[in-house]
Amino acid sequence: MNLAVEIAGIRLKNPLLAASGTFGYGVEYEDILDLSLLGGIVSKGLYMEPRDGAPTPRIVETPSGLLNAIGLQGIGIHAFVGDVLPRLRKHDTALLVNVCGDTVEEYAEVARVCDGAAGIAGLEVNISCPNVKKGGLAFGCDPRMTHEVVSAVRRATRLPVIPKLSPNVTDITVFARAAEEAGADALSCINTLLGLAVDVEARRPRLGFGTGGLSGPAIRPIAVRMAWQAARAVRIPVIGIGGISCASDALEFLIAGCRAVQIGTANFVDPGVHERVLAGLRDYLERHRLDDVNSVVGTLEYPGLPRPCDVPGTAGERGGCA
Amino acid sequence: MIRRMPVNRVVPLVAREVLGQAYFLLTFRHPEVAREARPGQFVMIKAGLSAEPPLRRPFSILSTDAAPETVTLFVKAIGPGSRRLCAMAEGDEAQCLGPLGRPFSAPPAGAEALLVAGGYGVAPLRFLGEELRATVGRVTLFYGGRTAADLVLLDRLGGPGLTVVPATEDGSLGERGRVTVPLEARLDAAPGPVRLYACGPDAMMHAVASIAGARSLDAEVSLESWMGCGVGTCLGCVVRVQSPAEERWKYRCACTEGPVFDSAHVLWPGEEESRARRASAQEARP
Repeated sequence: MNLAVEIAGIRLKNPLLAASGTFGYGVEYEDILDLSLLGGIVSKGLYMEPRDGAPTPRIVETPSGLLNAIGLQGIGIHAFVGDVLPRLRKHDTALLVNVCGDTVEEYAEVARVCDGAAGIAGLEVNISCPNVKKGGLAFGCDPRMTHEVVSAVRRATRLPVIPKLSPNVTDITVFARAAEEAGADALSCINTLLGLAVDVEARRPRLGFGTGGLSGPAIRPIAVRMAWQAARAVRIPVIGIGGISCASDALEFLIAGCRAVQIGTANFVDPGVHERVLAGLRDYLERHRLDDVNSVVGTLEYPGLPRPCDVPGTAGERGGCA
Repeated sequence: MIRRMPVNRVVPLVAREVLGQAYFLLTFRHPEVAREARPGQFVMIKAGLSAEPPLRRPFSILSTDAAPETVTLFVKAIGPGSRRLCAMAEGDEAQCLGPLGRPFSAPPAGAEALLVAGGYGVAPLRFLGEELRATVGRVTLFYGGRTAADLVLLDRLGGPGLTVVPATEDGSLGERGRVTVPLEARLDAAPGPVRLYACGPDAMMHAVASIAGARSLDAEVSLESWMGCGVGTCLGCVVRVQSPAEERWKYRCACTEGPVFDSAHVLWPGEEESRARRASAQEARP
């Protein structure tokens, strides 16, 4: 049975990656689980310099979800490359860096540092964090800015470039196309949804930053819809993200046209989630007498539309119909 | 720092005791936690696999028993997570990761351990008290609450080497007043070498930290914070901490760099510099 997939030239031993911001720098989990079980790990978002992040409280539970405003607290790209990467590289899994910046130049600069470091498989470009005042979402909500940032990162590196798109837009396909035109090799869809939780006694936001990003099972149908829309709009592969905590959740994204998926909030809930989802995927393939996970990609029978894998020139094309 | 490997397990509930007023003692079978856990450490636990509520909850370890390989938690059913835990029946399963976090450190040789517990915060201090009374001998646990009913574990504390001093704000049990009243009386009466250990409401720990500062005593506090993961990746539980060598404070994870911190390193409400840093800056001045 084949579980391996290829995204933007990166071979993943299975289609499951740990999502940025939910798995630290990977090493935090090295005593708790076997990291080589993972298809890949996407690092916590990294700027050039270390960052303090947002004021507390930073997380609040909501129905089937988690609202967070961590504010991209991080160690900075040099500490990651110098201190963390050598240790992380010992594990047999693909390592992606989530690249952040206050300015277009900073994104490119972080990408250049990664380009010179051995052991990084690709770059996820964070143009969708809702919890920072500069950069982040500003680049992800204006297609011209998206194009500009992705182009700058593209010029700065030979590594695969994978912009992470925001759901906080009217039409995600506009941003998917802008990123593709700018030279992206794949897309990550989606980041968190902008939310606000209110402490009614104090009449203040429940998060120190004010608004936050919503994740977890609560957002899954929105995420599947947006990943599906993006996968139909572009030629490059799409990585689905949003509320995955079991194999059937992951399969929704794959069937909708995603070539791989990321598991996020569920890492907090159950550090053993990757193993559980992987076992469930194997089980599903066996039950459906399939010997390759790629054969489910893009096989969604949507009323009135051809299957994504039947549409030439789209992300789903090389999927299940072959 | 002692590094102990946390283990993620599905754990059966083996005993459940109701203590009235929505307090429960829940005992789970978790061999690694039972063997390895140190006082001050905690577990992340959630009843069953359901999506609601999403996150596990952190609970300080009340006690462990190596022979039946069990860990006991002191849980108050106050929110959706704790209520689900407390509604479990014996044999039901929970998901449990532990042991986690930095434990309390032992008092220096010759120093007496003074433990200051506020209400629900008694759990890790009972664990510490039980260990210290066996190893160090002289331990005093000041156990405070608003009223007698808050001192739920009172009849399960004490024994040779461990003196318990209850205090209630309404005077319904033990000394009348906040728990810091008998603590300060004790410090005034016998000014020998001591180390303080505190766990309870933030205001109580702040008060203990201030007392320690005023009298130049060492104090460790076990901080409570909303936690998402328990292993230092979500960065949701951070607290402001500054060691004497650091020019400015940093957000540090209560789950991995705590929950036990040196009270002089913690920035309490309204502070922009830790007491330890202020003290070292004063010393450095010619």
